[in-house]
Amino acid sequence: MQASRSYYAGIDAGSTYTKGALVDDRGNIVGTAVDMTGVNIVTASKKIYGLLLDKTGMNESDVAYVVGTGYGRYRITFGNTQVTEISCHAKGAHLLYPNTHTVLDMGGQDTKAIRVNAHGEVMDFSMNDKCAAGTGRFIEGSARVLGLKLQEVGELSLRSTNPVKISSTCAVFAETETQEQLAWGHSLEDVLYGIHASMATRAIGLLRRVGIEPEITFTGGVSMNPGMIRALEEQLGQRLNHDGKTMYCGAIGAAIFALERASSATHEGGSAA
Amino acid sequence: MASASAEAKTTFEDFDQAKRMQGEITKNYFQRLLTAQANGQKVGYGFVMANPIEFFNVFDIVPLYPEVTSLNISYRGGAPPLIALSEEVGYSTDACGYVKMGVAAATDKTSTAIGVLPKPDLLYLTYSGCQIYIHWWEQLHYQTGAPILTVDVPYVREYDGHVDAHDIRYVAAQLEESIPVLEKFTGKRFDENRFKEVMRLSSKAWELWGKVLEMGKMRPSPLDAYFESIYYMAPITLIRGTQECVDFYAFLLEELKERASHGVGPTAREDYRLVFEGVPNYPFFKKFWNLFRQNNARGVVSTYPKVAGMIDTGSFHLNTDHPFESIAEYMIHAYCNWNMPLRTQLLEKYVRDYHADGVVIHSIKSCRSFSMGEGDMREYLAKEKDIPTLLIESDHVDPRYYSEAQIKNRVDAFFETLALRRAA
Repeated sequence: MQASRSYYAGIDAGSTYTKGALVDDRGNIVGTAVDMTGVNIVTASKKIYGLLLDKTGMNESDVAYVVGTGYGRYRITFGNTQVTEISCHAKGAHLLYPNTHTVLDMGGQDTKAIRVNAHGEVMDFSMNDKCAAGTGRFIEGSARVLGLKLQEVGELSLRSTNPVKISSTCAVFAETETQEQLAWGHSLEDVLYGIHASMATRAIGLLRRVGIEPEITFTGGVSMNPGMIRALEEQLGQRLNHDGKTMYCGAIGAAIFALERASSATHEGGSAA
Repeated sequence: MASASAEAKTTFEDFDQAKRMQGEITKNYFQRLLTAQANGQKVGYGFVMANPIEFFNVFDIVPLYPEVTSLNISYRGGAPPLIALSEEVGYSTDACGYVKMGVAAATDKTSTAIGVLPKPDLLYLTYSGCQIYIHWWEQLHYQTGAPILTVDVPYVREYDGHVDAHDIRYVAAQLEESIPVLEKFTGKRFDENRFKEVMRLSSKAWELWGKVLEMGKMRPSPLDAYFESIYYMAPITLIRGTQECVDFYAFLLEELKERASHGVGPTAREDYRLVFEGVPNYPFFKKFWNLFRQNNARGVVSTYPKVAGMIDTGSFHLNTDHPFESIAEYMIHAYCNWNMPLRTQLLEKYVRDYHADGVVIHSIKSCRSFSMGEGDMREYLAKEKDIPTLLIESDHVDPRYYSEAQIKNRVDAFFETLALRRAA
């Protein structure tokens, strides 16, 4: 079969979600998959790999190389090697948007600002402190206390007309502050947008540490949140690259690394003849 | 015969005997400390930065450095109960871990991982570079009633190879004034001959320690001048001014030369040469070291050992002809007593002089004097000088602030960027 071993997989085992991506030998994205990580990273990453193969109609024998990334990368037992999600997000963002020079990745427990060169390689990076403020967990917590689904908070926040200022930098205290603001009579939409604006401010602080150079590509699970996109674009005064695939950037980057590693291994393997 | 014994050395451990020697020195020192008061000796509390231990030696006062006892307790996993005790009496989680452990360890009958520490007979306050030193000693004074003897050391605002003469005179005069105070405190006369001998031995130890640190310039470096220096720097603080201290550094220097001639070092290979800034993490010290060791990275130079004295900058030389002035200069040139631009320039110079691939800043939250401004250092080195610089955060003694997964992520990503730069 011509297709044999000509696909490359990336599995991104994050703190909240596990993502997978499959690319062909030209780096075209063939498929993606996502599910909650849950308590067992090994099970979650195997499940995502299986899902990815099912969705794309592939078998394990079609895959030449697997790269694991994310916090659980060392637990991805079927992977060939591991690369940090910092390098993977940079690589993935560069594939989706080749003019990317700055990447903002907002995940469940991490926010990263990454400066990349013209080849999608990491030049510098900065991450949030050991604290959930300014990460996806901040929105999750707020959604929970407000009895909302994670997926609806961003959309709702767009209806804000007079955003409130959420000043607490602590994700736990911000939950209390959120309720307090509602008790003061502010609308749900205004409070929600305030949460997004507060996170955007922190994220931009991180971006400034590495230097903001357009184009900026917004990746990670939070890049699916329209409220966050608006808050960031408003404060930055420029557009961000984002689409339905940017949340898979870590996995996509890992898959591209898989392709690169496999081909360099082939070259080193001495097929000079 | 000497060459025969050298040839018998086969493993890295054979070239790693100085650490064993340091372990013995530290053990003996703690033994001496814990039995000092029972033996009729006075215990003087001092700071690592700017301690004129030469005077303690002359007056036969046994030094106790709460920074050193705390790091040793923490290294042995004993920090949490002391930190909990200090927080019970009202210390904030943000307060310096050394202060909290030091205060707790001086509380009645508090047992620590290295024993029940003697309370101070004297609190020698060499105020240099760390503002909390003053309040720490005040607290210990309230707790124990021990007298405080203060030597105020001016901050280094500008430095072009010299600090202002009046700064040196200011410190030297205080040291001269402290002599009659120490005579009265110990009931002993100041023995000038003994002082000269102690100064001679101190000076010799400094010279050898300086040469040890210079070995990091070799490529490959025969030592890890951050992680191994944590061990090697102990004698210069604990037993400086003794022949034993001189012998230790002479042995260490020879051992490193042997390592170099046999091509061995603290990692299998030397793939990366790093400059380290900041205090290490003691509760997880070996795990922390492994994050770098497994990438075959060696710390070739670091700022942390310079808290005990900036011997590698040529800023001071102990001199028996000008003992008070030269000790004053040593006290002025403690690393945290240098201002932030000077510290940043030093890091940049280290990268150049030691042919380093990058800088790692380990910032510890509870220490303002060391960690304040490190974000700016990172920014300057990375943005202005294009030097790969990693900033990671935890704490020196409090295990609650160390998060292995998060730190490993940052360290791994840093090595990925270093590898990319090399490939380019």
